[in-house]
Amino acid sequence: MMVTILPIWAVDVGGAVMMIVLSFLSVRYAILLRERDPQNIVWTYLFWMSMALALFAVSRSLGHIAKQVLIVTGNSSAWETLRPYSGAINSIAFTVVGGLTLFFERTWTIYQGMVHDRKALQQAHKELLYLNQNLESLVEERTAALASSEQRYWRIFQASRDMILSADAHGSIVDLNPAGFKMLGLEPDELTPQCRFPQFMNVPDQWQEIVAEIQQQGFIASTELDLNVADGKRRRVLLSGSREGVSEDNIHFVVKDIEQQHVIREQMAQADKLASIGELSAGIAHEINNPLGIILGYTQLMLRQEEDDTQRRDDLKTVERHVRHCKSIVEDLLNFARTSTPKKELMDIHAIIDDVLHFIAQHSSVDGVRIDTHYDKRIGNLLVDEKKIKQVFINLLMNAKYAIDGNGTISIQTGLSACGRRVLIRVHDTGGGIEEKNLARIFDPFFTTKPTGEGTGLGLSVSYGIIKNHGGDITVESFPGKGTTFTIVLPVPVAAVEN
Amino acid sequence: MARYLTGWIILWLCWPVSAWATQSHGGPEGLHVHQMAHLFFSFTMGLLIFWLRKWHLVTAKGWRYIQYSAIFFIAWNLDAFLSHWLEELSELMAIESVGVMQISIKVAKGHEWLALLYYLSKLDHLLSVPAMIFWFLGFRWLLKTPQTPNGIEDATP
Repeated sequence: MMVTILPIWAVDVGGAVMMIVLSFLSVRYAILLRERDPQNIVWTYLFWMSMALALFAVSRSLGHIAKQVLIVTGNSSAWETLRPYSGAINSIAFTVVGGLTLFFERTWTIYQGMVHDRKALQQAHKELLYLNQNLESLVEERTAALASSEQRYWRIFQASRDMILSADAHGSIVDLNPAGFKMLGLEPDELTPQCRFPQFMNVPDQWQEIVAEIQQQGFIASTELDLNVADGKRRRVLLSGSREGVSEDNIHFVVKDIEQQHVIREQMAQADKLASIGELSAGIAHEINNPLGIILGYTQLMLRQEEDDTQRRDDLKTVERHVRHCKSIVEDLLNFARTSTPKKELMDIHAIIDDVLHFIAQHSSVDGVRIDTHYDKRIGNLLVDEKKIKQVFINLLMNAKYAIDGNGTISIQTGLSACGRRVLIRVHDTGGGIEEKNLARIFDPFFTTKPTGEGTGLGLSVSYGIIKNHGGDITVESFPGKGTTFTIVLPVPVAAVEN
Repeated sequence: MARYLTGWIILWLCWPVSAWATQSHGGPEGLHVHQMAHLFFSFTMGLLIFWLRKWHLVTAKGWRYIQYSAIFFIAWNLDAFLSHWLEELSELMAIESVGVMQISIKVAKGHEWLALLYYLSKLDHLLSVPAMIFWFLGFRWLLKTPQTPNGIEDATP
C-alpha cells in the first residue's frame, strides 16, 4: 500500500517545534517558581523535572526535525548514520525523566516534614513571643486567680456551718474552722499541739479505728459518733475524713451535727407510739364506759330507794364514788385518744392562762412559789376549746408546782414563731428536772414518777391528746437540777395570719 | 594437594587462551533499551499520577494539569512503543520509502488493519504536544497562584 507521509511530516515537524517551545517555557516558569521561594524543595524538584523534560523535548524534536529534513533532501544515508545517536540520546532522556519522577514521592514527603517542622517552629516562636511580652501580666493574672481561689476556699472554711478540722496522725488538731471552735467550745488560743481530737470523742478509742480505716482505704465516709461538745453536752455527729495526700500525715475531717435530726426522729417515734397507745386506749375506754354508766345508774337508783344513815347507803355511796373515779379515768383516756371533737372558739389565750392561774391560787397552796408571766401582746385570739385548754394548763402548772416542791419559780412565756403562723407557750419551772431515761415516756398513759395514789399518770397524756387535737404540738426539755420547760405550739387562725 | 594445585595454576598461566570476558551486544539491544526506556517513562508517569491522587493534590488546578500531562505522556510512550515495534520487530509488515513524500506499507494477508495502525501511530506528536501543553499549564497555574506547592495552605514562614 502506498501512502503519503505529508501529514506525518507536518505533525512531526510542527509538533517537534512546539515541544521545544513549550518545554523552554516550562523551564522559564520553573525558574520563576524557584526564585519566588529558593528554600522550597518542591520548586527545586520541579525545576529539575522541567530541565529533564526540556532535554527530552530537545533531543527528540531535533532528531525528528533532522530526520524529516534529511529524508526530504534525499540524505537518507546521513540519517541512517545519525539515527542510532539520536535514539540513544532519547533513551537517556526518557530514563532521566523517569528517574527524576521517582524522586517525587521522597521530595514531597520531605516537603511535608519541613512544613510541619516550620509550623511547629512558628507556633513555638509565637508562644515564646507571647510569653515574653506578657509574662508579667500572666504572672499577675495567675497570682490573682490563685488568691481568689484561696479566698474562696477560705470563705467556705470560715462560713461552713459544719466543723472542718485538720489533725495529724496522732490526733493533734492542726486547724479548725469557727464552726468547729463553737461546737467543741474552744477558744483560738486553746488550740495547742496538746489539744487532741480524740479527747472530744465520747469513746476515745474510736480514733484508732478511724485512723486505721483512713490508712487502709484513704478515706472514711459518714461515720456516726458521739462528741463531748461545749458545756459538757453530748452531740451525735456524722464524720467524714480523708488524707491530705499520699505522703502527708494530716487528715481532713468534715463533722456534721446530726443531733437535731436524731431528736426529730425520736419525736416522730414518740408520736407514733402515742398514737398507737391512743388507739388502744380509745378501744378499751369505749368498752368500759358503757358498763360503768349502767353500774352508776343502778347504784344511783338504789341510793334513792335507800333510807338515810344505813350501812347499805354508805356502801352504795362508796360504789358510786369509785365508779365516778373510773369514769373520770375513762374520760381522760378518751381525751388522750382524741376521740371527742373539741368545741373551738376564738379565745384570748392570755385570759385563759390568767383564769387558770387564778383558779390554782384559789384552790391550791402557792406559798413560796413565784409565778412570772411574759405575754406577747401581738398574739390575738386563738381558736381553742377553752375547757380543754384550761385542763392542759392546770395539768402543766400542777406538775410544775409539784416539781419545785413549794419553793421556786414558775414562768409562763408566750410568743410568736418567726413566720407568725404559730404561737409558742413555754411553761418553765425551776424544779429538779426530769431524768433523761424518763423523758421519752412522760406522755405515756399511766406513767408517773409520783408515789402511788398521788397521780394517775394521765395528766400529761391528756394534755398531749388535747394539744394534738388542736393541731398543735407539745414538747419537753429538761435538765436534771435545772428545771423543766414544756413548750406548747398552737396554730394561729388563718384569718389572723392574713391580717 | 597444595603442590598439585600450584603446579596446575603455573601450567595454566603458561598456555593462555581467549577469555571472552567482555560480552558484545548486537544491533537489536539498542532498540530494546529504547523500548524499555519508553516503558520505564510510562511506569514513572503512572506512579506520579498515583502519588498526586494519594495526597489529594489533584484538587488543585495546577496539579490536575500535571496529572493530565502524565496521562498523555503514558499514552505517547505506549504509542511510540507500538510504532517502534511495528517498524522494527514485527514480521507482519514491511515499510519502505518510495520517493520524497511517499512510503510503501506491505502487510501480511489478513492483517491489513496493521497498516492503518502504523500510520496513526506515526502521528505521535498529537499525544506528546498535549502532554507538554498540560505540563506548561500546570506550571503557569502554580506560578500565578500565590500559594504553596500543594495549592491549599501557606507553608512559607
